[in-house]
Amino acid sequence: MILKKFAARGLVVLTALAVLAMTGCAPAKPAEPTKVYIPLISKGFQHQFWQAVKVGAEKAAAEFSVEITFEGPENETMVDKQIDMLSAALAKKPSALGFAALDSQAAIPLLKKAQEAKIPVIAFDSGVDSDIPVTTASTDNAVAAAGAADAMGKLLGGKGEVALVVHDQTSASGTLRRDGFVNQMTSAFPDIKIVDIQYGGGDHLKSTEITKALLQAHPKLAGIFGSNEGGAIGIVNGVKEAGKEGKVVIIGFDSGKAQTDAIRSGLMSGAITQNPVGIGYETVKAAVAALKGETLPKTIDTGFYYYDKTNIDNPEIAAVLYE
Amino acid sequence: MNTVIKNLFSAKARQKVLAFASLVLMIVIFAVLSPNFFQMDNLISIMLSTAVTGVLGIAVTFVIITGGIDLAIGTLMTLTAVMAGVFIGYWNLPIWLGVLAAMATGAVAGTISGVLVAKLKLPPFIATMGIMMIAKGLSLVISGAKPIYFTKYEGYNSISNGSFIDFSFLVPGLIIPNAVVIFFGVGIVSSIILNKTVLGRYTFGLGSNEEAVRLSGVNVDRWKVAIYALAGAIVGIAGILISSRLNSAQPALGQGYELDAIAAAVIGGVSLSGGEGTILGTIIGAFIMSVLINGLRILSVPQEWQTVVSGLIVIFAVYMDILRRRK
Amino acid sequence: MPESLLVRIEDLHKSFPGVHALKGARFDLRPGEVHALMGENGAGKSTLMKVLAGIYTRDSGTVLLDGQPIDIHTPHQAQKLGIGIIHQELNLMNHLTAAQNVFIGREPKGLMGLFLDEKKLNDDTAKLLAMLKVDVDPKTLIGGLTVAKQQMVEIAKALSFESRVLIMDEPTAALNDAEIDELFRIIRELKAKGVGIVYISHKMDELKRISDRVTVMRDGEYVGTLNTQEATMEQVISMMVGRPLQNYVRKDQNMDANPVALEVKGLNRGRALRDINFKLRQGEILGFAGLMGAGRTEVARAVFGADPVDSGEILVKGKKVTVKIPRDAVQAGIGYLSEDRKRYGLALGMDVQANTVMATIGRFLHLGTFLKKKPMADVAEKYINTLSIKTPSQEQLLKFLSGGNQQKVVIAKWLLRDCDILFFDEPTRGIDVGAKFEIYKLIQDLATQGKAIVMISSELPEVLRLSHRIVVMCEGRITGELSAAEATQERIMHLATLRSAAM
Repeated sequence: MILKKFAARGLVVLTALAVLAMTGCAPAKPAEPTKVYIPLISKGFQHQFWQAVKVGAEKAAAEFSVEITFEGPENETMVDKQIDMLSAALAKKPSALGFAALDSQAAIPLLKKAQEAKIPVIAFDSGVDSDIPVTTASTDNAVAAAGAADAMGKLLGGKGEVALVVHDQTSASGTLRRDGFVNQMTSAFPDIKIVDIQYGGGDHLKSTEITKALLQAHPKLAGIFGSNEGGAIGIVNGVKEAGKEGKVVIIGFDSGKAQTDAIRSGLMSGAITQNPVGIGYETVKAAVAALKGETLPKTIDTGFYYYDKTNIDNPEIAAVLYE
Repeated sequence: MNTVIKNLFSAKARQKVLAFASLVLMIVIFAVLSPNFFQMDNLISIMLSTAVTGVLGIAVTFVIITGGIDLAIGTLMTLTAVMAGVFIGYWNLPIWLGVLAAMATGAVAGTISGVLVAKLKLPPFIATMGIMMIAKGLSLVISGAKPIYFTKYEGYNSISNGSFIDFSFLVPGLIIPNAVVIFFGVGIVSSIILNKTVLGRYTFGLGSNEEAVRLSGVNVDRWKVAIYALAGAIVGIAGILISSRLNSAQPALGQGYELDAIAAAVIGGVSLSGGEGTILGTIIGAFIMSVLINGLRILSVPQEWQTVVSGLIVIFAVYMDILRRRK
Repeated sequence: MPESLLVRIEDLHKSFPGVHALKGARFDLRPGEVHALMGENGAGKSTLMKVLAGIYTRDSGTVLLDGQPIDIHTPHQAQKLGIGIIHQELNLMNHLTAAQNVFIGREPKGLMGLFLDEKKLNDDTAKLLAMLKVDVDPKTLIGGLTVAKQQMVEIAKALSFESRVLIMDEPTAALNDAEIDELFRIIRELKAKGVGIVYISHKMDELKRISDRVTVMRDGEYVGTLNTQEATMEQVISMMVGRPLQNYVRKDQNMDANPVALEVKGLNRGRALRDINFKLRQGEILGFAGLMGAGRTEVARAVFGADPVDSGEILVKGKKVTVKIPRDAVQAGIGYLSEDRKRYGLALGMDVQANTVMATIGRFLHLGTFLKKKPMADVAEKYINTLSIKTPSQEQLLKFLSGGNQQKVVIAKWLLRDCDILFFDEPTRGIDVGAKFEIYKLIQDLATQGKAIVMISSELPEVLRLSHRIVVMCEGRITGELSAAEATQERIMHLATLRSAAM
């Protein structure tokens, strides 16, 4: 009985303690009205790419001495969780807001609320499909993917069979990269045949399985393009497991340790990198500018690079690659 | 001996009081720590964010009380939303038919889970895990892996985000979104079903001692199927709520939601070994989860730590459950 | 004669995969009589009654109710015909109230047939309970009632079907004397109303008190029917086992000269155990008697380290030992043979050899990892021979052995562990009469070899038969100690009901 009562009280106490402890380690006191506070709601969180965006945002925050928080749902399907984060961010009465929508439609009511409250919204990464954001800081995915197609076309000498492992068939980044790659490939390299497009959800393991199946189905497959980090690493794993190292040209997207290692070792020919650090940096920088009343361009292209074994250690590339 | 057992049973009531006290305490702490927390706007968005998990929690509460588990509710919710999208968005049928289609889809899937569990004797964990994957796949197939938007249908979004209960003349900003009203409505109706109808009686009976119910001449299998079907229909309501809130049926969403729902039920005192649980408890459990997450966000606690705290709360709630049934 | 029969069963056959459970079983029941059904475990009593109650379907044979052939396939049909059964393992739902349990499956409906009429439910139950003169609130949760009260609720439930045939499977197994008296009062009232009662039990003294006739079954077959008043225990038992009983003589030996193997001082655990002190000598069998819940099992579990204690000392061969977990006890040479051997004592899905070496597996390893096949086989073979465990091979899975042989495997396991102090908790529960005597002999042989033995048993004849000394408990306290010479059933029962004044 005593133990039970103890435990019963324990729940209450633990809850209280946990809350207090968490508050203790909270870095920011956004309630202070004096400091400019800019929450960033991203599309993801754990993924290294988003962590790199966060690094860029934190860099800008330090530079312009503003307060930021960075949040995103556990995976890129959790549209409603992102909406909850957005509404909690607005409840904190922020100065400006950075937002990368998982689904623009769902976010519109809240964004309107932000607009009414005169909170400038800066869209980043895949952006927001609406005219509410004052600007969008992002990679032009179609152009970047076309860069990947160019690289692959050259490496294959303009002929052969190619397949794609795309991370997502619903999001803008997924479809734009897919279409950008396919369009460039068909127009610039008419002798290269795209034999299959598969979707791996950006999941390493699933992309591995897909790659092995692709290699099984198309024995003459000469090149595979992975549209994001998870997909690219999946392809590398799949090719390795199938024992076809060196027989397939792999072009990836984004960076991350596994991908850069694969490029250094020659397993991967090269990859397109966005500039995630730049995305985070530009987002916060644009927010600060908007708060000062400056006019901003409709889009801020944060750029892309093609990198391979030869230029991976160049300072300008190394700076945007994340581990 | 006797008194020990009596205390054991009254501890059930205590758990509910305790859960409620934790909820209130949490709200008070957050309100003290941040002026932005106890704002009407924020409280309403907490309620809105609880609605879907709460309705799913109610659905799974029925199944858990029978001593089973339903892992399919997350992706099934998505499938029902997609069905609503097909009816309304693709076929231009009236909204109410879409709502019906979602609930019917849920009920059919629930019936299938029920048949697998009751007739084919599959363990509920496995049977519903299978349905979970099937529902996930079908959502992508039926929708063509693209979100189905309801933007053309003005009324649909207001199922969740509209409001026919407007108390703003009493308290400024007190405009309860319909999703919350529907959530509480589902709670009340479910509570009545659980406590006042034969279905509810057998729900407890099955979880308490299935063999005894069978030997009492009850067609146990048929009722079990009915309970899973009811849970499925409630999942259909959650599907409507989430798709109308997002104004779209998102075919890739859903996985992981079942765990939040189960956590809400468990925190609310629903026993995973069956026979015990209340709808109110589950609702409180769902609120504890969402208040906690919202509050930590408002306090700008880093996201990593938010997840750690949620985990601690779930573990502690289940530990309580274990202590409660230990002699 | 047949016209007055309520139930008549002729030439009933029932097979399960691998078992021919009923081979031409016979039974009849008159209105207003208590007809006892006896037999060893596995004799087919329960199977026969489950066929009558619609839980099993017969393969062949006839069942007549009021002279009319009936064909029952579900419990529901049986209930409609007025045949109720109260199972040995009570079939109640702990989380529902008494009333909800009574009317499960037949809930009265109120408004539009949708909702339950809770008031009618409680009122009807209250009426039934009042008829039985049972003091239970229809609204209390079953899980909070004593087993006896739960049983009364089961009876009320059976009566609510207007049962004319009531089958009771070992109804007194968990009841104390006062509760048994109460049960018998109700049975007499039912008799007076013309209800025919089938009473399955092993306890001869009860049968003498309550039953009119006794039918004995063996191996699924009908053996014979006797009028209870004319029957003797020996007669019934020899019918049950199919051979005359070997007579047993108790040795009134004084063990005081032997060295003390185990001493327990001032053991306390909440309200379950209060100031427990006793000594156990080498070669001695110390009986622990008492009613259910008196705390005998708790003593064993506390000494064995299975439950935490508040205070107390344990001395093994005069040396103080610290027992916090069962492992400590085992290392001190204490073995505990649980009352529920299927749950705690054995791995039923494993074979005889594996179970035998379970507690000593460390001795049969190469490099601490790989099993030594040969030594394990040798040791298992040795115990199969010395304890005469009846098994076709060492590879036989435990679940296919009889209760008596399972018990012997548990004993083998602890003997192999070099335990000199053995706690036997209800060692013959669920074991056939014939096999019981083998277990008795085994326990005595162990004592003769110098093992110190505590034997907990609810069967007084068993305690009286084997023990050199008997400790009696009531409500967590030791209320007395009797030497074999002075112990009688009456004296033990007196001590077992010696409640402390302050409750």
